[in-house]
Amino acid sequence: MVTILANGFVPESLAECLELKAKRSLTPYAGGTDLMIEEDRGGQYLFLHKIPELKRIREDDDNLYFGAACTFTELLESALAPAILKAALSRIAAPAIRNTGTIGGNIGNGSAKADSALIFFVTDSALKLSGSKGERLVPIQDFYLGRKKLDLQPDELISEVRMPKKWLSKYDYQKIGARKSLAISRLSFAGLFAEENGAITHCAVAFGAVSDVIIRRKDLDSLLIGKTIPDAKAAKSAYIKAYEEAIVPIRGRVSAEYRKETCLNLLKDFLNKMGI
Amino acid sequence: MADSMTFILNGKETVYSGSATARLLDVLRNEYNLTGVKCGCKEGECGACSVILDGRLVNSCMTAMGRVAGSGVVTIEGYRETERFKALDKAYASVSAVQCGFCIPGMVLASECILSKNAHPTEEEIREGISGNLCRCTGYNAIVKAIGIAAKEGDGLW
Repeated sequence: MVTILANGFVPESLAECLELKAKRSLTPYAGGTDLMIEEDRGGQYLFLHKIPELKRIREDDDNLYFGAACTFTELLESALAPAILKAALSRIAAPAIRNTGTIGGNIGNGSAKADSALIFFVTDSALKLSGSKGERLVPIQDFYLGRKKLDLQPDELISEVRMPKKWLSKYDYQKIGARKSLAISRLSFAGLFAEENGAITHCAVAFGAVSDVIIRRKDLDSLLIGKTIPDAKAAKSAYIKAYEEAIVPIRGRVSAEYRKETCLNLLKDFLNKMGI
Repeated sequence: MADSMTFILNGKETVYSGSATARLLDVLRNEYNLTGVKCGCKEGECGACSVILDGRLVNSCMTAMGRVAGSGVVTIEGYRETERFKALDKAYASVSAVQCGFCIPGMVLASECILSKNAHPTEEEIREGISGNLCRCTGYNAIVKAIGIAAKEGDGLW
């Protein structure tokens, strides 16, 4: 049943929710932690906290599935959420914000500073978008078209994040903030690495809070994949150089020069940690 | 047609028919006269407006009324009627942990959420638990100490 208020709706199923979204111009309210601090908060809200389909956490043989309205705390308490995701979530803001903020909201806000989105980039996760005409699955990299620009239709909602289980075990996560708690990332880095019988089977890195969109360059990471460790060491400087060219930082509160240099330092640290 | 919603406010079923997008903070203070909920920053930075929503600490400045539909909200005014509050009150007083007092309603509710999750927290866990609650008098050490004392003296309450 939908609770109807003066300027908001509280549906209790995904079907009810999508029907409302198709008919009206509604602002989705997941955790509210980004929405409620905006200057202009006019319009009508569509509250997502009572929709069971958006709160599910499940798995199959190949993937983990996280409902978009799961809060950071719910994922931190879940046995299914992998360590790399928990590493990032545990450093978001402070308990009260982790208790309300959601992954769907973090992604949907469209910022390259979103700490959970960085993990979804490095793990090559995909988003399930549900709309009145059905659903579609979009790799997170394709979902972000630019700063605050998303591949999302007016009738659609981010309903689930699908994360491949492969390659999650060996990771690195670094967040540079001005303080320990309640820090917005000045820069963030995540990396995944795997080797088998002396050869690199997987290498993925992502940089957050640097550019308009989180940086994830599979084409550059392929420079190391398939190589032996000694060969990777020989290719290391070319790999770093490639990222040096690929990272074009935006100038903000933190200088572009600082951002770029720190990105490359974090990349070098990652390679050192992985024995390259 | 505008309808209304119900929620449990400090244990009492409450009917609300105002704006769904209004801040819980403003409604608690202005409509229900629960002024123990303080407004410090209106952007989730300070924790002075902390309340407990369905057992978890939240910032009421970043919570819209629609989010509260069907949920339970506890403010310091409701919490002060509990035995757990008495243990925290005594512990805070024993080390003079209250200075100007502005952050204290939020700090006490954060203390409750630390202890309800973990009855015997380490100092680090206590500091993490209040990391979203700022004390501009900077009296953190006494507050951390007080929560540790409450855990010990109020053993069995949590």
